[in-house]
Parts: sequence; C-alpha cells; structure tokens
Amino acid sequence: MTTVVDERAEKSESPAESGAPGRRGPTLSLYGWLMTPGVAVLAVLSIIPFLALVTMSFSRVGLLGGVSLEWAGLDNWSRVLSDPDMWASWGRTAVYLAATLGLEMLLGIGIAIALHSVVRGRGLLLSLILLPMFVAPVIVGLLGRYLTDSTFGLYTSLLRSVGYDGDILGGTTSAFIAVVLMDVWEWTPLIALIVLAGLSGVNPSVLEAAAMDGAGYWRTLLHIVMPSIRGILLVALLIRAMDAVRYFDIIYVTTNGGPADATKTIPIRLFETAFRFFDLGYAAAIGLMMLVVTILIAQAFVRLLGTKGQTS
Amino acid sequence: MSTGSAHQRSGPASQLVVYAVVAVALLWTLVPLVWMLMGSFKNSADVTAKNPAFFFEPTLANYRGLFGGANDLVPYLWHSVVAAGVSAVLSLVLGTLAGYGLARSAMRGKHHLSFWIISTRMAPIAAVVLPLFLMFRLVGLIDTLPGLILAYMSFNLPFAIWLMSAFFADIPPSLEESAMVAGCSRWQAFWHVVLPLSKAGLVTTGVLCLVFAWNDYAFATVFAGPNSQTLPIAASQLVTQTGIDWGQLSAIGTIVVLPMILAGLAVRRWLVTGLTLGAVTGE
Repeated sequence: MTTVVDERAEKSESPAESGAPGRRGPTLSLYGWLMTPGVAVLAVLSIIPFLALVTMSFSRVGLLGGVSLEWAGLDNWSRVLSDPDMWASWGRTAVYLAATLGLEMLLGIGIAIALHSVVRGRGLLLSLILLPMFVAPVIVGLLGRYLTDSTFGLYTSLLRSVGYDGDILGGTTSAFIAVVLMDVWEWTPLIALIVLAGLSGVNPSVLEAAAMDGAGYWRTLLHIVMPSIRGILLVALLIRAMDAVRYFDIIYVTTNGGPADATKTIPIRLFETAFRFFDLGYAAAIGLMMLVVTILIAQAFVRLLGTKGQTS
Repeated sequence: MSTGSAHQRSGPASQLVVYAVVAVALLWTLVPLVWMLMGSFKNSADVTAKNPAFFFEPTLANYRGLFGGANDLVPYLWHSVVAAGVSAVLSLVLGTLAGYGLARSAMRGKHHLSFWIISTRMAPIAAVVLPLFLMFRLVGLIDTLPGLILAYMSFNLPFAIWLMSAFFADIPPSLEESAMVAGCSRWQAFWHVVLPLSKAGLVTTGVLCLVFAWNDYAFATVFAGPNSQTLPIAASQLVTQTGIDWGQLSAIGTIVVLPMILAGLAVRRWLVTGLTLGAVTGE
C-alpha cells in the first residue's frame, strides 16, 4: 500500500504554485518541499551517525578531553570476528529470538483465536490484554525482579509452593527463561492484536461454508484461517523480530548479561563494551553487524508490503 | 468488523475452553500490574513481606516521598514530559509534511527513500546510541534536554514519516483533485481537505511517538545527566548496592505506566495500523 504508484506527474507543477524560487532550472514540487525538512533532519540523525559508526569501527576511539580517533585498520573487525565469546553471544541472541518470537506467536495466536470467538465484552478484554505493551521495558524488568526476588517475590513464593526452590535470576537457565518470559509478557499482546485484526478480515462466509461441509474446527483453523492470515502473521513476526534486536532494556536492568553470561545477548555485549570498557571502536563493529541483521529483516518487511498490499 | 465467528456454533465445551484461555491470559497479564499498583501503597514491611501481603494497610508514604520527600521526582517528571513531548510534537509536524509528500510524490527512487526511512526506525538502539554519543560529546549535547529530544527524534521522526504516509495513502487523491478543480491550491487542498480527514492518523502517530520516547531507557542512560534525567532513570536509580526501595519503585512504576496506558488505549482502534507501521489495518 505504501508502494502505490502515483500516476500524477509533477510536471504540471508551476514554480509559483509550489512555492519554489522563481529561478530557472530544476525546481522541487510541493511534495518535494514538504519532504525536505523532515528528510533533512532525518539525514543528520541517521546518515552522519552511520558514517561515524563505520569510521569508529576502523579506529581506536579515545575519550580523554573530548573525542579522538586513531586509525586502527581492521583491528576491531578481526577481533570481533575471531572472538569466541562474541559468537557465543550471537548464538545466545539467536536462541533468545527464537524463544521469544516462538512463544509470542504461539500464545498471541491462541489468545487472538480465543478473543475472536468472544462476542460480548471483547473490546474490554482486548484493552486489558493490551496493557503490557504500554509499560516501559525498564519497568517490566524491574517489576520482573520484584516478582522473582528470592526472598519476597510473588512468583517465587508461587513456585516455592509447587516445589521449585531455586533463585530464579541467580541460575543460568532460570534467568534466561525469566528474561524471555518478561519479553513474552510485554509483547504477546501485540501479536494477539495483529492476529485479531487478521481474523476479523477473514471472510465469515468462507468459514460458514467450511462449517456446512462439516470440516472440523481444527481443520478449518489450519486449512482455511491460517493460510488466509499468513501475510499478517509474517508482518507480526518481522515487526517483533526487528524490535527484539532493537530493545535490550529488560535484560539490562534484570541480569545485565549474567549470571555467567547466560543472558548476554549481542546488544548487552555492545553496551558493556562501549560504556563499561570504553572500547568504542570494537563496539562500533558489533553495532554494524547488528545493523546488517535488522536491515535484512527490514528488507523482507518492505518486500512483503510491496507484494501483498493491504489486508482486511 | 464482523463479530460473527465460525466457532460459536461449536458448543458449550469449546466455549469453556475459550473462556479458560482468556481467563489465564488475563491473570498472566494483570497480576504483575496489579501487584505493582498494590506495592505502591504498601509500607516498607508489607512490600517485602516474606509471605506476599495480599491484605494490608494502604499508605501514601511512597508517593509522598516522591513529591516533596527525600527523592524528589519532580525534575525527572519535567524532563520526561519535555523530552518526550517536544520530540513527539516535532516528529509529528515534520513527519506529517514529509509523510504527505512521500505518499503523493511520484519521484524516482521513492522505494529507496522509504526503505531508508524504515531502516532508520528499526536500527538497533545500541548501534545508534554509540555514534550519537560521540557526536553529542563533540558538540556538547550530552546531559541536555535538546540532546535527548534529538536522540528521540532519531526513531520517532522516521516512524512518523512512515506512518503518516501510510495514513495519507489511504485517502484517495481524487479528493484533492476535486478541491483543486474548485480553485484550491495544492497546499490548500492538503491543509483544508486532507489534514482534517487524517485526524485519527495524526493522533495515533503523536501518541505512539510519545509512548516510545517516554518509555525510553537506553538513550537516557547514556545521554542524560543531572540536568536531563527522565523517569525511567529515576526508577533504575532506586536500584542500589545496599538494596532497593520496592515501595517507591512501585510508585514510580505506576507513575510511568499509567499515563501511557491511558494514551495508548485512547487510540486503540488505530493501534494495529500504528504498531505495524501501516502494514495491517482495522480490527
């Protein structure tokens, strides 16, 4: 939909009408003028930082008395690519992504299907389900710490009553599960919301026909509903994937990568490298690698929009 | 849209499953929030009671401590309001103009422009903070509200451009054409015809920009100092070596969360469109 080709040519634009200076030569249309301020600010806020990031990744960056850059060639890059800890972090990030996205899709679809068949009070229920999305991730993390505190946490005492007695954020596996679940708590509602929009777009008469045929509930779901919202599911997945690489606040304020690196995903490692060890050149190389990952996902997203167009 | 669904026919047993799923989802969703709200009204003994205190004597001590007490929250609140508010408004104004241009323009390279805009929005925060930190250090924007506002615009502006352009793309260009036939200039057609039709888009975009900036922690933790620290920083500062004041933390949490929940729910009808950046519409 954003890729709709606009047929109207700009040549009909007269300079006076568009507010362009009355000189000869190429003039921008009104549309061009409208875009200029926003795009200019965005360029300053994105292209310059990007070039700075690239430069940093080839430099030793000093922070004593301002900022100093010293050419370091491929040092940072060879270190980043040969550091086994780094690859372990990428692996952990992949597991984290798979776990959060997998659970969120599964639960989100389940909740959406359940909500879709609730007729009365659906609006209110949906509103309540959506609440976690608006909670600042840093608060989600701190609240998670409160709930899983080893002495007075509400969830700790619940788990204790069913026989689990460990320190949740203290154990490597349990801490990883905990930060995954905090992310799942916050973002499953988004998936549910998107899938619900998709379900509302499925033509009810198709479903009725399936019911007439005597197709079972699960068969209808699997063979008729799911394929018709496949595009929407993919949109949901890609949006969440980009955000999952983007945000790291929850891990940052709960375990900060620990215990024993169990939750040290790539953004956490970048932050630690940059703002605790002040190894900014190395951090820049990590940042560029992350950027490549999100750009690939963004490309898939844009391509999907271009081919599928709007749903519902 | 249609409230009818195929599963209603499937009898009381499956209705039971539906309600069970919804009930569990509600519990899972609401218990942490309710617990935080309760914690904000507990005294220090109740908030860290070994057996979770479900019934307690409510107190306003935590909130009182934050307003006028030892941990004065007011400067943090002010910084949050200014940084989030100004970045949202600026992003919305620039984003609306640019978004309209983008939606209607037929220029070459439009796809590349769109792609650049969305990759800017989706760029990992950690990878953006890093060069901005150096740049801000060079020009003296560290620990200033303008610095924070610019940092927030780095993600809110591309978001606003992209989303407004999606909203504008839904408005048929024929409307402006007829306005122009009636004697409007292109700008007047935009201002008097298109913009009033885009109220929902404007409000949704503004609210979401506000939420994103208000909830930020990563940028603020790097760029903000005593002159610009925001509410999420205030919350994290209560975590100290010697212990955490969970009562006050719950109170700050409530203060951070409540306005965003209200703002977010106010635009619930357009949330899908907003949060999928226009890829999915309608409920």
